[in-house]
Amino acid sequence: MPPAHDLTPFREQELAPAGNPAVVRSADGRWYTVTGPCPNCHANSVFRVAYGVLGPYKGRWLGRRSEPEPHSGSILVYCQCGFPHPDRPSESPDTGCGAFWDVPVP
Amino acid sequence: MTDLTRKRFAQLGQQLQLEQLTAVRKQAEGWRNGLTALTGLVGVVFVLKGRESVAGMPAVWRWTTAALLVLAFALLLTGALAAVRAAHGRLGQRMWLSGDRLMSAVLDEVEHTQDVLTTARRCSVVGLSAVVAAIAVSWVVPAEAAKDEKPAGPQVLVSTPVGITCGELVLSNGDAVTVRTGGKGKLRRIPAGDVRSLTPTSRC
Ligand SMILES: [Zn+2]
Ligand SMILES: [Zn+2]
Repeated sequence: MPPAHDLTPFREQELAPAGNPAVVRSADGRWYTVTGPCPNCHANSVFRVAYGVLGPYKGRWLGRRSEPEPHSGSILVYCQCGFPHPDRPSESPDTGCGAFWDVPVP
Repeated sequence: MTDLTRKRFAQLGQQLQLEQLTAVRKQAEGWRNGLTALTGLVGVVFVLKGRESVAGMPAVWRWTTAALLVLAFALLLTGALAAVRAAHGRLGQRMWLSGDRLMSAVLDEVEHTQDVLTTARRCSVVGLSAVVAAIAVSWVVPAEAAKDEKPAGPQVLVSTPVGITCGELVLSNGDAVTVRTGGKGKLRRIPAGDVRSLTPTSRC
């Protein structure tokens, strides 16, 4: 059963992570996927972090590309639940309730 | 404490992720334009300084000119590449696009871009000065060098009943043919009636 979603007024606030966000690295090493509920509006969401704008691998002069080093520290995740939280400014690029939180990378 | 800047950089990271292809294409376009301009650079350096203009110089000056041009080319090339690098950057290359990483990467990129721009400016100024120096050398040097060089006029063989005279053709009209013979430029006039034939030659 999906968790209930609270249509709270839009507010940009830093919160402690809720539930147990899972941080998973993709098989090819190019992505981190953070899955977990929003601590504010409780929407379940997936947040992705990619390696590099120009692709993940750096060729050594056209040679083999190596796998990127792991992300250390934590990843800042923000709510992208997609619900029309009230009071969200129309010019805001946000698509969620405004909350953001840190998820440590294992 | 709510640190909105950190969220903004996380948002920038998500945006970069979505626009990766556009960003790469733009960058490629910038490099293409830059590299096309570099091709023009070769033209500028070597058309300004054609081979003919160095041909008459003494060896020392010829080598000086060549060295100046090679130096100028290397500097202008470095400068142009650095300018392209500064204009098209590589923010977000080889790093995780998470907020905090991006924040420090942006600061690094700003510093780096400024450094690269300084390099580009210096290289271009010195490179252009070298081109100008090379041109100046060719203006000044041949004036002194020309005296001990071969005459510029056409060489001819003038055949007369008493023999053949070879030299630089100075004047030829209905009365006579005048040629300059020998290194010191002694003029010799041969009346038209004596001339049996006049043949161009590459050397005497
Ligand atoms: Zn929500
Ligand atoms: Zn939310």
